Amino acid sequence: MFVEPACGPAPSLSESGRPLWLALYLPHLALDALAQTGSAATKPLILTEDPARPKVHDANRAARQAGVRPGMALADALAVLNAPIVLEHEPEASRRHLLNLAAVLLQFTDHVCPEPRQQRILLEVGRSLRLFRGTGALEARVRDTLRQLGYTPRIGIARTPAAARLLARLRHPDRPLDRDALRRTLAPLPLTVLPLPAADTQALHGIGLERIGDLLRLPRQDLALRYGTRLPEFLGRLLGDLPEPLPRFRPPENPAFHLEFDQEVSATGALRFPLKRLLLQLEQTLRAGNHRTQGLELQLLHRGGKTTRLTLERSQPGSRTEEWLELWSIRLSRLELPAPVRGLRLSVPQLLPAGADSDGLFSSRDGSRDESGFLTRLRARLGDDAVLRFAPTLHPLPEGAQEACSPDTFPALPGGGTTPAQRMAGAALWLRPLQPAPPPGPHEWLGRLEGGWWVGDDQRRDYAVMRDPRGRLCWVFRDLRTGQWQLQGFWG
Amino acid sequence: MSALEDLLAHPGVWRGRSTGLPTAVPTRPSGFAQLDRALRGGWPRGQLTELIGAPFGAGETRMLVPVLAACTRERRRVLLVAPPATPWIPGWRQLGVDPERVFVIRAASEDDIIWSCEQILRHPETGVLLAWLQDSRSGAPLRRLRLAAGAGDACAFLYRPPAVAPQPSPAHLRIRWQADGDRLRLEVIKFTGGPIPAGQPVVIPRDVR
Repeated sequence: MFVEPACGPAPSLSESGRPLWLALYLPHLALDALAQTGSAATKPLILTEDPARPKVHDANRAARQAGVRPGMALADALAVLNAPIVLEHEPEASRRHLLNLAAVLLQFTDHVCPEPRQQRILLEVGRSLRLFRGTGALEARVRDTLRQLGYTPRIGIARTPAAARLLARLRHPDRPLDRDALRRTLAPLPLTVLPLPAADTQALHGIGLERIGDLLRLPRQDLALRYGTRLPEFLGRLLGDLPEPLPRFRPPENPAFHLEFDQEVSATGALRFPLKRLLLQLEQTLRAGNHRTQGLELQLLHRGGKTTRLTLERSQPGSRTEEWLELWSIRLSRLELPAPVRGLRLSVPQLLPAGADSDGLFSSRDGSRDESGFLTRLRARLGDDAVLRFAPTLHPLPEGAQEACSPDTFPALPGGGTTPAQRMAGAALWLRPLQPAPPPGPHEWLGRLEGGWWVGDDQRRDYAVMRDPRGRLCWVFRDLRTGQWQLQGFWG
Repeated sequence: MSALEDLLAHPGVWRGRSTGLPTAVPTRPSGFAQLDRALRGGWPRGQLTELIGAPFGAGETRMLVPVLAACTRERRRVLLVAPPATPWIPGWRQLGVDPERVFVIRAASEDDIIWSCEQILRHPETGVLLAWLQDSRSGAPLRRLRLAAGAGDACAFLYRPPAVAPQPSPAHLRIRWQADGDRLRLEVIKFTGGPIPAGQPVVIPRDVR
């Protein structure tokens, strides 16, 4: 046996940037994706598949303890369970959940490859190791991130995707970083764990092979002659002698997150918990893509395909779960649910680049920043158009001299203050829709306003203030063309 | 005996005979010498001030213009909650109020108005709150507002209809206003921590600049 001369502590190969694969296997993907609403978590729940001959796709802990196993006929499962919740498994929904998780995992590496049919995601982490300080820490971070979102992954790490998949499925504790370690880890495993066609496994058993190590000792050329090229190619990919190129996952332009409940919810308060889960997922996804968002859309899904659409806009973009959750709680607390809710869908209409955080030193008290988001809270409760400012314009007539704008935007003021024409109308405080007024009693003239002729709306008005019999200080004008008096607003 | 003296020295205890003000409430100058004298410095900050009267538009907003202008000069916000009309911003601007710092909150229900005022009063950038309450209800929501006002240092003006004048209120200062010829006549009906200023009612001229 050839032994390399030892020369100091050998640097770990993976640390130098060699590819290293982390496989995430989510055996209970569909179950994890269901929002377990409160009390239901302790009730047995089964997901069924194959409507023609229904059988169990997955079952929660309570159901598994009663003896239900995936693949069991539904009738058998119902026989051993007491009033379980039965839901149909939707493969398309599971696929969506897996892709959402893939988007979240982009925060660990730029090479993510979801394998939806196998409920698996592969990450190339060789180049991320230094950033995350080693495999142990990285694995813990990935696991925590998914746990926070309600998923329980099995994780395998190895230098090839094929080996990482295998270790993840087996929940194998070894983390073989180089080729020899990988051989040592694989050798004692039985042949049956390999994803090979049953006929191949049978044939290998037939010639007396039991363990992977037995297989690896055989010359590849002989295997190819006997069993065709597929088996040696698989072994080559398993050990890293042959490359296995994997496509790179591209996150969608407009991320959307979906959650179905195990029971219908009819109180808005009960939506908070599942919504928090969606917002956490959103936060992680935005972080992964280095994005922020200013608005969110939430759809409450009811039975029969009906939905209730809610939108929320903030004055400052952000991604923090807690901030968004508070705003949504305010919005939801004022909502009368038209029907019980079966699920939630959260989507981002527009992604914004995270950019440098512009809040800071010079932003306080300039009237437009909203550090604590309180204007946003007001809008969440009262509606988007309930909080506004008014910006002066150059229009000469008082009714056109200002425009409403949202609290986040305020156009630069026209220079030179109020226009002379506007000054002619006086410094009244309140504007009303125009209304004919009787000729006033004693009044004080303010000035004559002439303008609007260049926009085809020739106006000549004499403005005045008068105290009406009720005590109001009325802001009135006489239209010089008609002689008619109009109430424009109030002086005080 | 000394316990009693300690108690009497407590700043929250005010004895009817004394004429001085036991606790100095921070104030903002009102812009009118006569009013500042009556209010012992000006409009109280971090406290509720009720302005009771009708009808809207008699000059009761105009008398606050000096405070509003001073507040936006300090780069703090002026918030109008549920005003009965639209502010005509060019007019406010002519009087020295920066339109960029004037926010209008539209709220219909009493609950929304009170909730908005609470949020506003707790925010450190709020300089002046003007809220128009259409209520004639009891003081529970106002007590919430008083707590919120105490959390900040804004001037909180609540416009209320004349019907509420006889009702008890947790407000620090309550003023009844009334149009009087060309002017606005103010009458203090409650002033926490001191006697109601005696003598002539304060009169505000019509044209505040």
